[in-house]
Amino acid sequence: MGAVQWLLKKITKAFGRNTNSLFYTLLYREILKEIHEITEIEEDSIIILREIGKKAANESCERHSGIFKWMPGNPKKVLEYFELLWVVVFGKELEEGELTYEEITKEGSKFNDYIITIKTCPICAGYGLDEEDTFNFNNLREKDSEGLACGLTGMLESVANFILKVKKNDYRINIVEQRCIAKGEEGLQFVCKIYDVADWKELTTIRIQDRIKSGVVFEQSTEEEVIQETKLDIVDKLQELLSLDKIEDLLDQPLEGIKKKVAELIEDKLHMEPEHFFDYFRNYEDDMIRIIGFLTVHLFNEYGGFVEKFLANETFAKIAGYIFKQLKEFSLLFIPIDVINDYHQLLINFLDGLAPEEMVENVKQFSGKDDINFLFEGAQMAFENLGIDFSELKENVWEEIRRERENGLISSEQSMITQTEENFPKVIRIIQEILMLFSEILTLPIRVLVSESHYGIKTAINSVVSEEEGLFGRIKDRIDKIFDYIQEIRR
Amino acid sequence: MNYSRTELLLSEATMNQMRNAIYHLQRFIKKNGVTEIRERMRRIGRNIAHTYIKYWKPIDIVNESNVKDVIATIYKNILNSHISIDIDNIDKKITIRDTDCPLCKYQFDDIDVAGCEIIIAMITEFINLINKKSKDSTPLSLEPINVEESRTFGSRVCIQHFRLIKGGN
Repeated sequence: MGAVQWLLKKITKAFGRNTNSLFYTLLYREILKEIHEITEIEEDSIIILREIGKKAANESCERHSGIFKWMPGNPKKVLEYFELLWVVVFGKELEEGELTYEEITKEGSKFNDYIITIKTCPICAGYGLDEEDTFNFNNLREKDSEGLACGLTGMLESVANFILKVKKNDYRINIVEQRCIAKGEEGLQFVCKIYDVADWKELTTIRIQDRIKSGVVFEQSTEEEVIQETKLDIVDKLQELLSLDKIEDLLDQPLEGIKKKVAELIEDKLHMEPEHFFDYFRNYEDDMIRIIGFLTVHLFNEYGGFVEKFLANETFAKIAGYIFKQLKEFSLLFIPIDVINDYHQLLINFLDGLAPEEMVENVKQFSGKDDINFLFEGAQMAFENLGIDFSELKENVWEEIRRERENGLISSEQSMITQTEENFPKVIRIIQEILMLFSEILTLPIRVLVSESHYGIKTAINSVVSEEEGLFGRIKDRIDKIFDYIQEIRR
Repeated sequence: MNYSRTELLLSEATMNQMRNAIYHLQRFIKKNGVTEIRERMRRIGRNIAHTYIKYWKPIDIVNESNVKDVIATIYKNILNSHISIDIDNIDKKITIRDTDCPLCKYQFDDIDVAGCEIIIAMITEFINLINKKSKDSTPLSLEPINVEESRTFGSRVCIQHFRLIKGGN
C-alpha cells in the first residue's frame, strides 16, 4: 500500500467518531431487523438496507465533499483504493493480505469487471450464534440476493460514485455483494462493474419501489444530485493536479511517474506518441536542452508575468543579468563534476524509453558540463526576450559599479573628496579580486558540501526505500504509534 | 475463519454513516405509518444490550455505591463517550450529559426522536440484566425517562434522564 493511502487511512480512523466494533455490528443488525419488521420479506429488507446505506453514506460525503476531491478520479483507481473506501465507511483497517483483487477481462468494454474478496467480515462476525440474530438468511429465495453486508455495500458504492461525481468523471461503479459469510459462504466478496453515466442512469431508473414485493413505501434518493462548486477554484485546480494516486505514483517511482506524466501530456495535448515527438529533436539534442532552459524561464513568467514586469525596469534588468551571469559561472565552479554527471545520467534515464534510441545515444555523448551550458544558454535567450540586454553588461558587476571620469583628465586641484573618488575604483578592484580569491578558496569546501549532501541524499534514499528495514519502515512505525496515542487521547 | 464477536470488542468502528442510517431508518418507519418510533429505537437499544452482555460486562452487581462508575464505564467502553453523571437521590433520577454523543450530531428538522433513545434503552437494559443475574439482595434497576435535549434537535449537548429504582426489578 502506498504511503499517502496509508497516512490517509490513519487520519480517517483517528479523527472519526468511533465506538466499539461490536456495538456498531449489533446496531447494524438491529437496523436490518427493524426494516424487516415492516417489510416481512427478507429480499425486500436487504434491498432497503442497501438503499439506506447508500443514502447514509451520500449524506456523509456531501458534508465532507472537499476531502473527496483529493481522491483519484478514475473508476479503476477508485477501486484500487478500495481499502481506503473501506476505512472511510467502516473505520476499521483490514489486516495484511485480507483483501484480494481480481480483474475480469470484459471484451469490448473500456473497463474490466473486478472481484474484491475480503477473508473476514466484521458485520457477519458470530452472526447466528445469539438468539437476537433473528433475521434468517435461509429464507432468502432469490439466488442473486445480497447478504448481511448489503448496507455496507451500498455505503461503499455511494462513496465510490460520490468521488467520481466530484471528480466530474463520466463513469460510475456498481458494487454488489456476491458472497456473504452470514449466508454460509466463504468470505465477503464484491463484484464491481463500471458503467458510463448513460448506462448507469438507465440501470438506476429501475425504481426500488418496483423491485420490492412487500408494498412498503421507500423514498428513493435521486442518483445525480448537483454538487455545489467550491468558491476556491485554485483548490480545485490543485486537487485536479495532485490527487492521491498521482502523489502516490510520484512517491513510489519518482522518475517513472514523471516519465508517465510527460508521455500522457504529449499524447493528450499534442496527440503524438512520445517517441514521435522526441524524434523531431534527433540530431538537435543540444537545442532540445536549450529549449528546456528557455521554457523554464518562460514558465516562471507565465504566473502573472512577474519576471517580465520586474525586468521592465532597466536597473533591475541589469542586476538580474549580473546575477544570472554569476550563477552561470558559479554553477560549474561550485558543483562537483560527479554531481553534474549524475544529473546527466538522470536525463539519459528519463529519455530512455520515451525518445528514439539514436537520440539517447547522442545525449550520452554530451558531458554533464555541456548540459549545464546548454541549459544556461537557453535560459539566457529567454531572459533576452524578457528584457535583459546581455550585450550591454560589463564583464562583471564591479566593472559596472566602477565610475571613471568622463573626460579622462586629472583635476589640478584635488580635494580629499576628489582624491577618494579617484581612488574608489581602485578600492573596488581590490575588493573584487579579494572576493574572487575567497570564492575560489571556498570552492573546495562548498564542493565538499554539495557532494556530501548529494551523495548523502542518494545513500539515504537507497536505504529509505526498503519498507521493512529502511527508514520508511521506521517512520511508518513511528507515525503508527503517534496515531495510536492520538486515539488514546481522544478516548 | 471469520472474527468472533469477542474479537470485535478489541476494535473500533467509525459511526459517521451508521449515525445517518438511524435517521433514514426513522424516516422509513414513519413513511410506512408506524407511529411508535421512540419505542422502536428503544427496542434496538435493548436488543443490543442483550447480545452485548454475553461478550462483556463491567461488573457482577450494580448498587448505589457503584452505579455512577458502572454507567461511566459502559459509556466509555462501548460508546467511547466521556459523560458527566448527576444522581438526584431525592427524585431518584440520574441525568447524563454527553457532549459528543455517537448517535446525535447534526440537527434534522424532520426527526422527532433522538438517536440516543437507543443509548438510554441500552444502558438501562445493560444494568438491569447485570442485576437480574446477581444474587445480591439489594439490587437496583433503571428505567429510561427521556432524552431532554439532543444535538439532533439543535442543542449543543445530549441530556438523558433515567429513573433509579432501588430494591430490585
